[in-house]
Amino acid sequence: MRTFKIIGLAFLFCLLLANSTLAHRVNLFAYAEGGRIFTESYFPDGRPVTEGRVELRDATEKLLVSGTTDDQGLYDCKIPKVSDLTIHIIASMGHRNSFLLNKAEIEAGQ
Amino acid sequence: MLNNLAHLLLSWSLVLVFASCGLAHFGVVLPSDDIVNQGESRSIELQLKFIHPHEGHYMEMMKPRHFGVLSGGTRVDLVTTLKSQAGRSGGQVQDFTFWKSDYQIRRPGDYTFYLEPAPYWEPAEDKFIVHYTKVCVNAFGLESSWDQPVGLETEIIPLTRPYGLWRGNLFSGQVLLKGKTLPYAELEVEYLNERAEQGRLHAPSDSFVTQVVKADAQGVFHYAMPKSGWWGFAALSEADWKLQYDGIDKAVEIGAVFWVYATDLQ
Repeated sequence: MRTFKIIGLAFLFCLLLANSTLAHRVNLFAYAEGGRIFTESYFPDGRPVTEGRVELRDATEKLLVSGTTDDQGLYDCKIPKVSDLTIHIIASMGHRNSFLLNKAEIEAGQ
Repeated sequence: MLNNLAHLLLSWSLVLVFASCGLAHFGVVLPSDDIVNQGESRSIELQLKFIHPHEGHYMEMMKPRHFGVLSGGTRVDLVTTLKSQAGRSGGQVQDFTFWKSDYQIRRPGDYTFYLEPAPYWEPAEDKFIVHYTKVCVNAFGLESSWDQPVGLETEIIPLTRPYGLWRGNLFSGQVLLKGKTLPYAELEVEYLNERAEQGRLHAPSDSFVTQVVKADAQGVFHYAMPKSGWWGFAALSEADWKLQYDGIDKAVEIGAVFWVYATDLQ
């Protein structure tokens, strides 16, 4: 009987964990405009990712600039380099995602 | 003898009527992609058609009255972007008009494209048909408004997120008529047989072509899609208004149509 309870609790825990992973999936969208790079970080339901760390890295993964999202999930900075850039969002609990902004898009937004 | 002949003629008439009514009409709004991810084209081509999905048969489509997109709570009219095209299925001997539009996605979010076609006169059924048709395209993982109503006279509100669906998934929706739930609505469900021109998919009998499900008292319906590809859901009802044909008032069938794409589990 005790074994059943433990299995049941473990199953419930797995379900909760699976659900929490889905609910906390983070996304980042970025674009270049007026010489700056604008980023928006959000959960699938539209809630902003606040106080998330944003990192802009070049094709060699060299860190060019970093910052923190505000209470609307926004972060922007001057274009640090005209090249393909990978922009990472690192939220709490290790949830992260990235967005590739290619050189052509950055050139168009200079 | 005369009596037998009358019965025979009546039977044949019924057969002919049912033969012409047997093919289900569907409004279609078909996007070139239903989920836009980073690195993919942000330009969506949309085809607007009036067809028999299983057979691939086109019907003539006049310029739609309304065509637009709802995103982030804002509706944008896209009628001026429509360009007429001509198409036909393999079994048809003439071209029919359909419409195309290109839309550029610029921001993350759900984009619900909606169509109100010009009324189609169907002589075989002695009525007009107006199918209010919707499809939803998601961009960059922001999934916050796929269940928002557009405000059409009749429409399906998806209860299942209408993209990112596996083959075999249950698709659920709610049928609205004038913004209120439509109890026990009857829905026709049909697979878009895109290979129709190369030889249609085999249906053992006509009953397999158009699946029929009924909604519950809250207008909620469910259907599990058994094959990957586009599936159309059409909730049909009769309008409380008439249109004239040759000076005579005729009934108008209004349909709430929604299209979703199912993908094979790989």
